[in-house]
Amino acid sequence: MGRLFFRLILRPLLRDPVRAALTTLAIALGVAVVLAIEMAGDAAAGSFRSSVESLTGDADFEISAPGGVPGEVAASLLRLPEPLEVRPRMESFAEVPESGRVVPFLGVDMVASAPGSSPSGSLGLTSLEDGDAIWLGRAFHRRKGERISLLVDDRVVGFTVAGVLSEQRGEAAVVDLSTADRLLGRHGLLDRILVRVPRTRSLNAWEAFLRRAIPSGLTLEPQGARTRENRRMLEAFRWNLRVLSYIALVVGAFLIYNTISVSVVRRRAEIGIVRAVGAGRAAVLGAFLGEAAVFGLCGSLLGTALGRLMAQGAVRLVGATVQSLYVSSTPAPVMLSANVLVFGLAVGIAISIAAAWLPAWEAAHVAPVEAMARGRVDYQARVHWLRNLLWAGALGVAAYLACLMPPVAGKPFFGYLGALLLIGAMALAIPAMVTLLTARSGRWMARIAGPEAMLAGRGLLSSLRRTSVLTAALATAIAMVIAVGIMVGSFRQTVALWMENQLQADLYLRPALTAAADRHPTLSAAIPDRIAALPEVEAVDRFRAYPISYQGLPATFAGGDTTISSRFGKVQFLGAADRKAIYARMRQGDFAVVSEPFANKHHVRAGDALSLSLAGRTARFEVLGIYYDYSSERGFIVVDRQTMLRYLPDPAPSNVAVYLKPGVSLDRGRAAVERACAGRQVMVFSNRTLREDAIRIFDRTFAITYALEGVAIVVAVMGIAGALLALVIDRRRELGLLRFLGASGTQARRLILFEAGLLGLFANLAGLCLGVALSLILIYVINRQSFGWTIQFHWPAALLSGGLALIFAATLLAGLYPARIAMRLNPIEVIHEE
Amino acid sequence: MKSSLLLLAGLLSAAAPYRLALPGYPFEFPRDHFNHPDFQTEWWYYTGNLRAADGHRFGFELTFFRRALVRNPADFSPWKLDDVYVAHLALSDITGQRFYHASRLNRPGPGFAGAALRDALVWNGNWSARWTLPPPAGFSTVQSLRAFDADFSFNLGIESRKPPVIHGKRGVSQKAPGKGHASHYISFTRLDTNGVIEVGGKSYAVRGAAWMDHEFFTHQLDRGQAGWDWFSLQFDDNTELMLFRLRRKDGAIDPFSAGTFVDARGAARHLDQGDFSLEPGRTWKSEKTGAVYPLAWKIAVPSLSLRLDVTTPLDQQELTPQGGYTPVYWEGAVDVGGSRRGSGYLEMTGYAGSQGLTGL
Repeated sequence: MGRLFFRLILRPLLRDPVRAALTTLAIALGVAVVLAIEMAGDAAAGSFRSSVESLTGDADFEISAPGGVPGEVAASLLRLPEPLEVRPRMESFAEVPESGRVVPFLGVDMVASAPGSSPSGSLGLTSLEDGDAIWLGRAFHRRKGERISLLVDDRVVGFTVAGVLSEQRGEAAVVDLSTADRLLGRHGLLDRILVRVPRTRSLNAWEAFLRRAIPSGLTLEPQGARTRENRRMLEAFRWNLRVLSYIALVVGAFLIYNTISVSVVRRRAEIGIVRAVGAGRAAVLGAFLGEAAVFGLCGSLLGTALGRLMAQGAVRLVGATVQSLYVSSTPAPVMLSANVLVFGLAVGIAISIAAAWLPAWEAAHVAPVEAMARGRVDYQARVHWLRNLLWAGALGVAAYLACLMPPVAGKPFFGYLGALLLIGAMALAIPAMVTLLTARSGRWMARIAGPEAMLAGRGLLSSLRRTSVLTAALATAIAMVIAVGIMVGSFRQTVALWMENQLQADLYLRPALTAAADRHPTLSAAIPDRIAALPEVEAVDRFRAYPISYQGLPATFAGGDTTISSRFGKVQFLGAADRKAIYARMRQGDFAVVSEPFANKHHVRAGDALSLSLAGRTARFEVLGIYYDYSSERGFIVVDRQTMLRYLPDPAPSNVAVYLKPGVSLDRGRAAVERACAGRQVMVFSNRTLREDAIRIFDRTFAITYALEGVAIVVAVMGIAGALLALVIDRRRELGLLRFLGASGTQARRLILFEAGLLGLFANLAGLCLGVALSLILIYVINRQSFGWTIQFHWPAALLSGGLALIFAATLLAGLYPARIAMRLNPIEVIHEE
Repeated sequence: MKSSLLLLAGLLSAAAPYRLALPGYPFEFPRDHFNHPDFQTEWWYYTGNLRAADGHRFGFELTFFRRALVRNPADFSPWKLDDVYVAHLALSDITGQRFYHASRLNRPGPGFAGAALRDALVWNGNWSARWTLPPPAGFSTVQSLRAFDADFSFNLGIESRKPPVIHGKRGVSQKAPGKGHASHYISFTRLDTNGVIEVGGKSYAVRGAAWMDHEFFTHQLDRGQAGWDWFSLQFDDNTELMLFRLRRKDGAIDPFSAGTFVDARGAARHLDQGDFSLEPGRTWKSEKTGAVYPLAWKIAVPSLSLRLDVTTPLDQQELTPQGGYTPVYWEGAVDVGGSRRGSGYLEMTGYAGSQGLTGL
């Protein structure tokens, strides 16, 4: 077996190093991308724990409530006749002005200094007397006694470093509850209460005990539930990213298939001989699968190393997406764990073997006599393009049906299946396409581009199977680029149009501390009041958002001024519901509108009631309408500002929209508003800059998808280069004969380049058709089921035509090296070999 | 006269905005049983000797301290640090020869700790003294003490028919020369106690006698004072004796040492340093801190014909509170023999060297 493997597989491979290297590299790139996304996803999602979850110590439970937990709850827990450890916390973020880094800013009880929340070193109650004491994580590199300034909401606050948190790896900044309450304007409300229980009874028993001890409106969860909640929310995103990352590997699989097919064809004679001298079918099958496995192993090993490098870049891109769509996080270091390593090897080898199965099986079933006979004609004749086309039709129908299926556990499995079926359908339809296009157009091509073009077409047709596989590989990659391109382009256009409607005010204000989907720093309540009194200002809309949890998923609860929205806003509701009527009713009491992603995630319709606990009280809101929103995937529940203030009385807004009086220039209005903000760190945006910012964030969010597509294209082009090289080597005899018959070297070169060009053309055509179909699945099935956004279909014409031209050019480039080899063939030598 | 005097030794100078303990203070009860935010420091001290029906003997200590930190009338935050509350809890299992103790520190917060008349409660988390106000006819006070720790807990009812004693002269217990170097010091010297102690997975129904001190002041010691020895003794004939001896850093006994004798009807008689003598005997060295405490004492009060031998049934009753914000001291149950028999509590501070001086 070992000798057989060496003779049949390794020796030929060593003789053809360029092609072997290209195949290995293709697998490597595929594996690398999968691993990079896996590692980057882990790092980006994993970091969430190390930032906000810092200093949670060894607590068992956490008590929280949207809008805050009254401090009295902590007191009543402390007074229970049980030895509980109770740690009240306020949680926010602050920015380090010099570096612009946003760090967790926590208020904990520095007096009680329960274990796990206590700073190292002596407690120093005296430092608390001044109210500016702060304890910093090591990463700040500050020493006790130094001064530090932090941006908290809309002001810069100076602190004295009272200690360094030795057990704190991250960048958390910790102050006493009294300081946090004053700076964050919490009015006695806490964000969380952590509870550690003694091990005298089971955690379930303790949970039941605590549940009875706290008001019903509060959420009691095992510690870390929020991290799990965020992971759940990120799951859909990570899933889609993961699926996207497999594209390059699928393209790589086509190339393995091709490589093994070429091996089989080339070694037909050898296969015949070894079979004739007694080797069994299993041995032949094993030898070729072994070849695939060697490619898989080498590719995976290389891919793992490459993936580790790529992850470094990917983590920034993934982190940016997570940050703008989901949660505040600073990516953790990228870790190449043993699991990931084994996973990468397994995937690479498994895909290679699976892709090689069909040609290897064919090799094993060739009758020895047939194999030893010369020629490859019979082999190619086996491609029944019409039968394949029928199969393609059947797969297409199956794909369509799959797309009608609902999601499974919130994941669009059938959407993915539909996409895979469609790719299969395309692969099966390609022989028909090649046949129909080349069979009819040979003479026509000869007239326009010379006999080389005609020969190129016939050459492709005569090796139909190989041509089809190559075309399918490239077409798959192209289709993905097109599909994702159309989806992202449509999304971008939809968001731009939505912003036209959404952003009607002249100026927008927010605190200098940057907001994220899960953190909403506030402006001093006095600022909008001052602005409203300005003679230049017509109206001021105060918007306040709170991160909450609804049915175990993060969401946002917000209050807006519906009087002003009604007067100026142009928010669109689903089903063309009457905006003004909805706003008018919202003012009358406990009514809400929800954003589309929220409605989709929680299956909420107009008329449903939402039950929320706000600051420990239970409130019920009737949903009046669902509005289009693309600002956050978490989903919004919006009520009228007055309604919100009844439950959560803090008047400080997170955002303020300012409408100027008619005739007031933007510059004059802006100057007046900025004067009214003097003394506070407030960002003032004009309508235009806000839109530009939003689109910039959008592009940053999708940068990772562009990167993944790019790699898939590179793999496909490498495959084309390898395949053309094989083509040239296989057709030495043919090319030699042509040269012998008088064809010049240049003509031989043109022939190969034409073949490359035709391949590119076929692939572009198939890819375009498949891409458009896939984009429909992405937009209407996968996106809807995993994110719940309505995306208006839109042709990003420039992007598409540019992309296709680029890919075409790349295939031509890939033909250059094989073409040069073809040109350099010595006809005499080749003929002599016969 | 309690341990946190030393705890505050480093802060004697920072007392400017607070009221001093001066002669002629108009006591008003029950108001004066609760907190006095005008004064910087205040404590409520409960100690007692208890027995279960099977003879199992216990001693207990539950102490609440209040320390003013910042006075800012403009701060309305429920988390403001106007005061901090420290509490100590100890249980002496004398029959089992084991000593348990715990300590905690809390801000008043929205109900974490406090001592307000409004609540009729002195508490720190789930350690509390709940007062029945007004007390039932015939009683000077009725309270319930509850405390929970990981290792033990107790729930004790205490009541007294004797009126509260105000120590010292003209309402002040002078500790050092000069105006205000004094405290207002009130005691319930005999509290009939019964309730339940849970320790080591067992529950004991107990009865016995407890003693309560309440003291508030702004600064009372002077820098020359190093520590003290304090006795609260309850005799079988229904009389009680409180004595303290202040030790100076040079080893001398401070002339401001004093005491109070309470007769069976509850009448108090002040004792000056010249009225009594205290003589330390056998010593015991703490393995944990290295401090050497005298655990046997001879007391003589000639004017009352008292010649007493004080001994302890459990050597290890040293408190070493965690967190570094309170000093190390010995406080434990004692037996009294001699001309009168009885039991009581003894507190000794300033023996653990620098460990006794790490303050807030």
